[in-house]
Amino acid sequence: MMKKFLMNKMPQTLLVFVNILSMFLLYFYKERFDKSILISVILLVATIYISNYILLKISSGDHYLFLVVSMLSSIGIIMIYRLNPVYGFRQIIWFGVGIVFYFIFYFCVKRIKGWKKWLNGYFIISMILFVVTQVLGTKIKGATNWIRIGGIGIQPSEIIKIIFVFYLASYYTNYTKKANEKYKFLGVVYSYIAFLFIQRDLGTAMIFCFVFFIILYIYEEDRKLIYYQIIGGLIIGIVSSFLIHHVQVRFIAWFNPWEYIEKEGYQITQSLFAIGAGGFFGTGIGLGHPEFIPEVHTDFIFSAICEEMGIFGGIAVIMLFLILVYRGFKIALNQYDKFFKIVAIGITTTLGFQAFIIVGGVIKMIPLTGVTLPFVSYGGSSLVASFAALGILQVASEEIQMEQEEGDGYNS
Amino acid sequence: MDTTAKRIVKVLILFCILLGSLVLYLSYFEIFVVAKIQDNPYNKRQWMREEYVLRGSILDRNEKVLASSIKQDKQQIRNYPFKNLYSHVIGYSFKEYGKTAIEKNYNNQLLGIGNSPLTKVKDKIMGSDNMGNNVVLTIDHTLQKNADELLRGKKGSIVLMNPKTGEIYAMVSKPDFDPNTMRDDWQDIIENKESPLINRATTGLYTPGSVFKMITATSVMENNSNQNYFCEGKTNIGGYVLKDYHSIAHGNVDLEKALIYSCNVAFSQMGIELGEEKLKSTAQKYMFDKQIPFDIMSKKSIFSEEVKMTKTELGVSAIGQGKVLVTPLNMAMVASTIANDGNMMKPFLVKEIINSKNRIIKMQPPKILSHVTNKENANKLRDIMIQVVEVGTGKKAKIKNVRVAGKTGTAENGSDKEHAWFIGFAPANDPKVAIAVVLENEGKTGGTSAAPIAREILKNALNRVQ
Repeated sequence: MMKKFLMNKMPQTLLVFVNILSMFLLYFYKERFDKSILISVILLVATIYISNYILLKISSGDHYLFLVVSMLSSIGIIMIYRLNPVYGFRQIIWFGVGIVFYFIFYFCVKRIKGWKKWLNGYFIISMILFVVTQVLGTKIKGATNWIRIGGIGIQPSEIIKIIFVFYLASYYTNYTKKANEKYKFLGVVYSYIAFLFIQRDLGTAMIFCFVFFIILYIYEEDRKLIYYQIIGGLIIGIVSSFLIHHVQVRFIAWFNPWEYIEKEGYQITQSLFAIGAGGFFGTGIGLGHPEFIPEVHTDFIFSAICEEMGIFGGIAVIMLFLILVYRGFKIALNQYDKFFKIVAIGITTTLGFQAFIIVGGVIKMIPLTGVTLPFVSYGGSSLVASFAALGILQVASEEIQMEQEEGDGYNS
Repeated sequence: MDTTAKRIVKVLILFCILLGSLVLYLSYFEIFVVAKIQDNPYNKRQWMREEYVLRGSILDRNEKVLASSIKQDKQQIRNYPFKNLYSHVIGYSFKEYGKTAIEKNYNNQLLGIGNSPLTKVKDKIMGSDNMGNNVVLTIDHTLQKNADELLRGKKGSIVLMNPKTGEIYAMVSKPDFDPNTMRDDWQDIIENKESPLINRATTGLYTPGSVFKMITATSVMENNSNQNYFCEGKTNIGGYVLKDYHSIAHGNVDLEKALIYSCNVAFSQMGIELGEEKLKSTAQKYMFDKQIPFDIMSKKSIFSEEVKMTKTELGVSAIGQGKVLVTPLNMAMVASTIANDGNMMKPFLVKEIINSKNRIIKMQPPKILSHVTNKENANKLRDIMIQVVEVGTGKKAKIKNVRVAGKTGTAENGSDKEHAWFIGFAPANDPKVAIAVVLENEGKTGGTSAAPIAREILKNALNRVQ
């Protein structure tokens, strides 16, 4: 029995091992008996194992996506647990909630037909969400992108990200080459980005821009329009870096954090110290001091991983994202349904680019914008929304049954 | 593949580049950047370790404690019992002002960081005693104190070393400061125009004057260049009139006589006859223009910059004037080279590192740094240096019953007061100690001011060093 279990090459078994081992490490280094660690491990392992099992049974699509994401989340949970067991436990709960949402989205998106038709619906819902955030939102870290409902903070922009992708997909699926249609489309896209700017959520604004450019690049027939958009985007970026104080600060902290180490550069330099302290193999879980970085459990989780699991640990995380991106685009390539093809591209781009800008930010390769590292960072909204997006991607990885009145997917 | 598919693949490639660049940047950062930023005072990690590891002591060669730490209410206090005496050798270690000298370069050893992986595993299992390692210096406390007293009230530096091994016995730089009271004195120290924070022994760049003639003489012997000249008391090199001390004409001089009486006219002509290439090559064998590997920060002595020298520049360089600049450490090494049959030893300050249980973890063995000249030439130079002390400019360095070899220097510099130099070693037939003394802007000749100081130290050193 045991031998069979050990010989089993199913990846989720390996995942289970990784989790048990790392939790054992945590227990060993923390040197105190903590029942909650035990409960956490059992909970986490069971969740991963069972959901992978269910997925194998019900989905005919890609089975690697969920494994990759389980690994990423495991690394995140281990790190968060080590930083703060209370947060760690909460993250495990959120992980469970995320998986529930994953299945909910998977079933809903699969069963409900007609997603491609609701172009205006997506726009109206997003704008309502934006306005609600603007009115009810609280300011955290200079960005107004949180609303509180019954003690739980929600970040509507995480949900809008998915809706935005649906909007883009819906537009290009129903595109009819009418001139004013295009202007309306551009107007809508820029109103999204403008709202994010107003709420000072620069990171998300960058992600929206990037996703927009990518889908424009792949589907827009008017090629000149793409260049105009990219040039326009760059000009806005450069101008805002001179005019808007909030953006300026980011650039200063990126260009020479050492000169402003007491204030603007504090966080990023602490992050660099952490990464440096880890070396290639890391200090070992529980042996470093990632807690010196402010906000380490959310935006700077990657630095903590680098300190205690080493640069190689960090590279592993990047590689997991690369696999995720690869599978995502593979799904897009194999999907005949145009709407879901675009959705797959949009979601993959969102997740991949978000990972790129936050990792690039904390290692000071690019200016820092405060976004979470998908699936890894602490935070319910981010985790649940990412899992929801993954559920949709799972749908896109399957063969979509054509709706009778529209069979254009095969013919185009 | 249709266009859409092609474009999707291109986007995938873009992602590979983006994520790949993260990996490359991380590796680059780890390999090239980390070492530069880790010591930043804002990196709290280094101080974290200092909270629970008792910083090791620093001892002299006879295990006298020169710096130690004690725990007081969870805080550590670093104590320097000899105050100013080791401000430049040992340096200081403060959160606010950082670290210098041995405290800086041996920080990891003092904190027990980087002990072998095996020790780490052992510590983990057995429980570490949280004691750092102790650093044992080559310094002899008595000689250091002696050198310090002789330099009191003056500006300058003394370096005393073992010519055969490279061990530094004493290294004094004046003015200095008291690391114990640095927190209170910091403003005064940094505003002081005499720059007490600078370790003149290793980073002070002085015009060497006539002590440089040892290098020119070595080059003449090495290259079998002409050794006979006629001195009229002054000479005209390319329009520049170079005079001897009091314009004394030495008449017909050979290399020996030129050195004994420190004849500028003869030496400048020797330099010109040698040419820049040969003189430079000898100077570089003496580690000019090169970084001397040392246990604390040191600067390069400068013979020439990249530009070609004019005849005048070459003439004045050959007598140690012009743009030539040296550190006292380097000049002590020049004396040591002649004492050690033409082989220059790598200088060192740290003899060994011992752990809290007195086990030696690491020793520093003597190493040859540079083969400068052969034994024959070295012995000839030594014989001339004996004559310098017996009958020449260095008479005040004479010690009863011991033969001293030496060379004096009086270096003109930007100010109207010359630097006084003496380099030498004793006993001449079997050298035990070598020395360099420089008195900054002393305004007297090396023979009258630096030689007597060197004499006192050499005498005491010979009594202590076997």
